Amino acid sequence: MEKVLITGISGGQGRLLTRRLLSNFEVCGVDWVPWEGHPRDVNVHVVDVRKKKFEDVIRTEMPSAVVHMGFIRHFRGDAKRRHDVNVRGTKQLLDHCANYGVQRLVVLSSGYVYGAFPENPFYMDEDHPLSASRSYPEIRDLVEVDTLASAFIWKYPHIRTTVLRPVNVLGETVHSMIGQYLRLDRCPTMMGFDPLMQFVHEEDVADAIARTLEQGLQGVFNVTGPGQVPLSVAIRETGGRALSVPDFVARPVLERLFQLGLWPYPSGAFDYLKFPVTLSGKRFIEATGYRPLFGLEEIFQSIHR
Amino acid sequence: MPAARDSRPGWLGGLRSALLPSLDALQAEIDDRLSKIPTRLNQYGFDRFGMCPETMRTQLISSVLAYRHYFRVESFGIENIPTGGVLLIANHAGQLPFDGAMLGTCVLMEADPPRVVRAMGEYWIPQLPFVSVAAERGGNQVGTPENCTALLEAGECVMVFPEGVRGMNKLYRDRYQLQRFGLGFMRLALACDVPIVPVGIVGSEEQQPGIANLKSVANLFGMPALPITLGFPWLGPLGLLPLPVRYRIHFGEPLRFEGEADDEDAVIQEKVDRVRGEIEALLRRGRELRKGIFT
Repeated sequence: MEKVLITGISGGQGRLLTRRLLSNFEVCGVDWVPWEGHPRDVNVHVVDVRKKKFEDVIRTEMPSAVVHMGFIRHFRGDAKRRHDVNVRGTKQLLDHCANYGVQRLVVLSSGYVYGAFPENPFYMDEDHPLSASRSYPEIRDLVEVDTLASAFIWKYPHIRTTVLRPVNVLGETVHSMIGQYLRLDRCPTMMGFDPLMQFVHEEDVADAIARTLEQGLQGVFNVTGPGQVPLSVAIRETGGRALSVPDFVARPVLERLFQLGLWPYPSGAFDYLKFPVTLSGKRFIEATGYRPLFGLEEIFQSIHR
Repeated sequence: MPAARDSRPGWLGGLRSALLPSLDALQAEIDDRLSKIPTRLNQYGFDRFGMCPETMRTQLISSVLAYRHYFRVESFGIENIPTGGVLLIANHAGQLPFDGAMLGTCVLMEADPPRVVRAMGEYWIPQLPFVSVAAERGGNQVGTPENCTALLEAGECVMVFPEGVRGMNKLYRDRYQLQRFGLGFMRLALACDVPIVPVGIVGSEEQQPGIANLKSVANLFGMPALPITLGFPWLGPLGLLPLPVRYRIHFGEPLRFEGEADDEDAVIQEKVDRVRGEIEALLRRGRELRKGIFT
């Protein structure tokens, strides 16, 4: 049986993926934090991907495939450390993959890397430029990770490397930014704006990663879900209430609250509540036969307050 | 002696009771038309591009009232609109895009089956609060080639004014003189292999006679144009109201073009000139047919 190593295995998406892969693969993983009650046949190593110890894990486990999803996506901690973990961590991991005979690599990027802009066309494909850093510099590390991984495809063509960019991920287990937002008592929205948003269920993301591994896919792919609704409908359907605030009030106030650590998102995130970032998932569907199993109703019902 | 109870409603009440049944009937008619559009909606009532009949239905009342009672629109040859993806190419005039609204209302209320006409808007519209949402729910998108292609491939009826602001903000003395056409629409028609229906709109060119266009002042404020018209700015916001001209919308027969979408400009230009010629002919015929600007 082939062995898969998952970074960020203790996170919600890591756990789901482990369960999805166990029937076909031997699974091990690394994370900052232990996974209490992990399956007995899964080795979970608590290491930092930037450290020598991580190289030791790869050397001893000798995985034939790696799924990289151990990123810091929240803004609670130090911004420099976040950047270092995400970018340098990815660079180290890519080097290890090249040096220790890894044959398949999946990097879980996200649809946010395209950036939210008024001029965005609907249903952007994978060739659309990654401009998120222009209006949302706090996530430039995730754009750099995506770029590093995409370049790796051409540098090491014999390693089947895939970059996946899923749309907004929701579910009971994952801690996504959008999930956290929709669980707020009052969801601040930008007055006079109501962009279309696409959603995908966490189980379908796990399925997409598993298919990528099983089929040895290579390339960059958007991963879409069953459909899209305006933000206001998503808030309503998850049982929330919108708090409509004009942009010129919301930005300065929430930026200040963010600096004080009282609000989880920097102000660049608001553009995603104003302008649409909709992706075309055609390429992935055609390459793998992926079909999302969870409909929009089920996705919204998976959000509990 | 008991006081006589006045059972007659006041003039306001009278106006309401006179208007309400007809407004209800109008709403029912609009709902019926909207229920027959071929566009696929999801379980929440939106299409792939954020168009939402539930939001449009009430907004449409004012459009249909303007269509029937203000501009008293007459349409000719609407049966020329084929089913499936199609480009409506029309002349653009009148300072404010009432021509787009009337063309859209015409196709929704009179075509068989009813279609929601998708307009390709300016790049800055998505930055305007409220306007952006209203535009999107009404089926309009930013005019990027990607959006237009996606709409045509989804079998939608897309409206393009290839003159753009050059046409809309032209002066009264230039009425019915088509300005330079952009070439983009033809490349899209070729790439998506959809027919083009030329449309001549008679009436809009006289609705808001332009005297001057202060382009340098407009540039200063980043506006596309600053027209000085018969009514604007002298009458303030009231000056924005168009004259009650009568609209005549003439639909020509669908044109099909063959060739490469990325051909040289000169080759595309020839095809564009054919469409332009058709629209010119429609406008000429339309002006000959009418008895007056307002009647």
